[in-house]
Amino acid sequence: MSALTGWTSSRTAAARRDGRLAGSRRPRRPRDDRRIAPLFIAPVLIGFAVFYVYPTVRGVWYSMTDYSLLTSPSYVGGDNYSQLLHDDQFWNSLKVTAYYVGINIVSQTVLALGLAALMHRLTRSAVLRATLLLPWLVPNVTVGLLWAWLLDANLGFANHLLHAMGMGTVSFYSPNWAMPSVALVNTWAYTGYTALLLYAGMLQIPQELYESAVVDGAGEFRMFRRITLPLLRPILALVLVVSLIGSFQIFDTVAVVYRGSPIPETRVIYFYIYQQAFTFFHMGYASAVAMVLVVVLGLLTFVQLRLLRASRSDLG
Amino acid sequence: MAWAILIAAVVVTVFPFYWMVRTALTPAGDLFADSHALWPHHPTLINFERVLGMTSSEQNRAAGGSGAQINFLWYTLNSIIYSGVIAIAQTFFCAMAGYAFARLRFPYRDAIFGVLVAALMVPPIFTLLPNFTMVKNLGLMNTFAGLVAPSVLMTPFAVFFLRQFFLSIPREVEEAAVLDGVGRWGAFWRIIVPMSRGPLITIGLTTTVWAWKDYLWPLLVGRGEHTRVLTVALGVFLQQSPNTQPDWTGLMAGSTLSVLPVLVLLVLLGKRLVQSLNFSGIK
Amino acid sequence: MRHAVRRSPKTTQKNASTSKTASRTAARAAGAVLALALVGATAACGGNGSDDASGGATTIDYWLWDDNQTASYQACADAFHAANPKITVKITQTAWNEYWQNLTTQLASGSAPDVWTDQASYYPQFATSNQILDIQSYVDRDKVDLSQYQNGLADLWVKDGKRYGLPQDWDTMALVYNTTLLSRQGIDASALTHLTWNPDDGGTLEQTIAKATVDSHGRNGLDPAFDKNHVKVYGFLPEWADGSQGQNGWGVLAAGNGFSFVDKNPWGTHYNYDDPKLAATIDWFKHLIDKGYAPKFDAQSTLGRDAVMDAGQGAITLAGSWTINSYLSPTAKQKYAFAPLPVGPAGRKTPINGLSDAIYAGTKHKEQAWSWVKFLGSSACQDLVAKNAVVFPAIKEASAKALAAHRAKGQDAHVFTDEAAAPGGTFFLPVTDHGNEISQTVQDAIQSVILGKSDAASALKKANDTVNAMFQ
Repeated sequence: MSALTGWTSSRTAAARRDGRLAGSRRPRRPRDDRRIAPLFIAPVLIGFAVFYVYPTVRGVWYSMTDYSLLTSPSYVGGDNYSQLLHDDQFWNSLKVTAYYVGINIVSQTVLALGLAALMHRLTRSAVLRATLLLPWLVPNVTVGLLWAWLLDANLGFANHLLHAMGMGTVSFYSPNWAMPSVALVNTWAYTGYTALLLYAGMLQIPQELYESAVVDGAGEFRMFRRITLPLLRPILALVLVVSLIGSFQIFDTVAVVYRGSPIPETRVIYFYIYQQAFTFFHMGYASAVAMVLVVVLGLLTFVQLRLLRASRSDLG
Repeated sequence: MAWAILIAAVVVTVFPFYWMVRTALTPAGDLFADSHALWPHHPTLINFERVLGMTSSEQNRAAGGSGAQINFLWYTLNSIIYSGVIAIAQTFFCAMAGYAFARLRFPYRDAIFGVLVAALMVPPIFTLLPNFTMVKNLGLMNTFAGLVAPSVLMTPFAVFFLRQFFLSIPREVEEAAVLDGVGRWGAFWRIIVPMSRGPLITIGLTTTVWAWKDYLWPLLVGRGEHTRVLTVALGVFLQQSPNTQPDWTGLMAGSTLSVLPVLVLLVLLGKRLVQSLNFSGIK
Repeated sequence: MRHAVRRSPKTTQKNASTSKTASRTAARAAGAVLALALVGATAACGGNGSDDASGGATTIDYWLWDDNQTASYQACADAFHAANPKITVKITQTAWNEYWQNLTTQLASGSAPDVWTDQASYYPQFATSNQILDIQSYVDRDKVDLSQYQNGLADLWVKDGKRYGLPQDWDTMALVYNTTLLSRQGIDASALTHLTWNPDDGGTLEQTIAKATVDSHGRNGLDPAFDKNHVKVYGFLPEWADGSQGQNGWGVLAAGNGFSFVDKNPWGTHYNYDDPKLAATIDWFKHLIDKGYAPKFDAQSTLGRDAVMDAGQGAITLAGSWTINSYLSPTAKQKYAFAPLPVGPAGRKTPINGLSDAIYAGTKHKEQAWSWVKFLGSSACQDLVAKNAVVFPAIKEASAKALAAHRAKGQDAHVFTDEAAAPGGTFFLPVTDHGNEISQTVQDAIQSVILGKSDAASALKKANDTVNAMFQ
């Protein structure tokens, strides 16, 4: 967690420095807002305590119990965790998820960044933006079913196209292709959304920077690298963190395509948690898996934020 | 070149969506035999009529779907209330908190913020059961209060998002206002909020869409007729038993219709978003 | 309630933006949220509470997943209410995928529907954790005639002398084939009524499947020049996402080969997946794929077999009696007919499977829930179900009525009832603890065989060890 706050507070520190410089001729005002601050954060803290902290504490407790959901939990200490270490299915689910996340994050972020830049520099048509957001509006279950249909080995339009172009059949949902296919389906579904967040960030960048860069004869690519990317960093970091966490929670697409019984190559961790909890009635064990997921995500976020901070090169 | 990429992106984006609409226009009986045609051989509106409840269940069965029909307008209204309340309230509260975490100075600020953002990592499936039990024990089953409860005050994402944006607003702008005697609260409302219309609308839209698409929670908490939202209602078109197909054409028609209200919202607010930014965001 | 929610955020926002005294507004905003919650709470108490059993009117919550059957059971609920004006039955339907999670969550939080439709692979868990009311004493008291049901169905829902439900309906399996495709290959419909099968040469079933398979040059599977890499119509479509029971495929033929799943059913504790008779059956399916008569595992459709059948790319497959209405629908693009299962070395064996109605152990309305369940299990209700011709009701006479209702719709479904009535022709799918976990283990093993990753005997042996270890 220190990485998160460390990274963010260094931004704040920079801002604070600027503020002090600019305001040096003004009288000092109280350095502390501790009286008014609680009013600003109270509603959020209430919601947080009730609907996040409390259930999480419950979940941690479940992870140390034998709990079938239908009978009361009984304490078993670290048993669930030691069982996890020897659980092939669990390790498989981690591996499968990592594979998915790798493909999905790269394709989604690169495409979204490109689209956002195009929307930013080329046209600001609201209709175009809404068009690119279309896939994101489709209910998740429908996304899964729609693509199951399009990519089907026998009846899908994608294979029809491939045939028309003289290529052979690709079984998109076969063991070898399944995860890349699912990753691309979700890239389709969420790129528009990711692009929207990035675009909102780009709009915050002062227009003059581009104008003066154009005067200096800079091309679009150079401006993208020297202006857009560095100044977008707070938002880019946010988007990356959120997409990473989000794509670790892939579930619907897999569950829907395989009609509730995915092949081992697609049994992602979130499906595994779901299955342990609601199909096998091992809520205690499912909670332990979820705890591991939380820790993994925490570590990855830490690393991510560290890396983003290391490549720091602000213009202004 | 840039335009070519953009056009390609649009085509790839829109085609599957088009396929959804095409499927919705196909008679259920032709579905599989017709699976390669770009346009159905016998286009029909029957699936849309089924979703809109304009047919009897005998007609539905004859159309090859299940007997399902739904009170579409009523559930749409419920969805609008559900996502509207969440979007407005959540944006409001999270903006206040985001501002506090970005600008105000108070003890343990960064620690509190860190814990809050860490909650992003807690899988929703983890919190589902305790939250459900709580809402049930409060007697809020099948009420809008119970439906919106977990997300009406905050989501970690919204706080995180808005804080990041508030950080990028130059500090001097607001310091001046504080000195003018409007205080932190006044500065927030008169300076920060108008300047941040873009991010606020963005997070509002985002929240609306998430709530609009939300399925599992409303299914658990708001199944009653009065609180049933669109996604839950569309469930009747899904797979009805382990060995059967979903009602493809009905589901696609329902999904198409369910996208329209948010699409309209996006276009309308999207225009405003650009205007507001041109007006104030870029000085 | 609706108004309260819709209005309050707007008012708070307006207050906040116009007010000069910041802190007070913030407090008011927080207050509004609290008020909102309280209003919700009181509204819920008023609207939701069903009255207690003491003489007043009662509402029984009844859950089911199959929308195709909602109409039948709504008719039952109406008839029941007419006979018992003090009891109203409220039916809630949820799609299969969410049905069990929803039910479990409700059970875990101590509130479940009074009565729900129960299924064999989930029911052991509910029974073992005392979530279902034991109705044996009610059955004894009201002298429910258990012999009116299809043989053996009622006993599936009994454990250690406790009875957890009355049977609602049943289903059996049969072959379904595309009549146009088969007659084009010169296969006579009458030949399909007495097919034989064995795992060594596949019997006349394999001959028929081979003949029904057609490659892109129009050659069938018996032609020496048959090109198995370019198949246009597959003779047979197997199902591989079929759990530990193979109800839609391998389980049926394995049983015909003399395989029995478990030492004792229901409530066995030792499975026999290592039986060579099962391995031989799986090997035969693999052989069917190798010959090109059935799609490879990784080239099969994720849309399901009936989609491929409807597209005219499959000639024969196995189908349950729950599919009668979709295959014989007047709007179906292909013409289908049903044929009896092939006769294996151990005879013709079909699984017979059914649903029941469970009463929640924690219900406040035990008597009322029981009278509804009793009504569901009576001919008064099952005749209404029969009339809609969607499933076969559990009561034998009602089954005959359902068959007649199908006939009246021009649907020939007698194969299913004949099989159900044939002495020794049916077997029950295993009902034991750990059903869902076993399902996953065995399905994985069989899929790995079909994918060619391991051989049937060793994969099944390993799976069987895993399965039996669950009972230790």
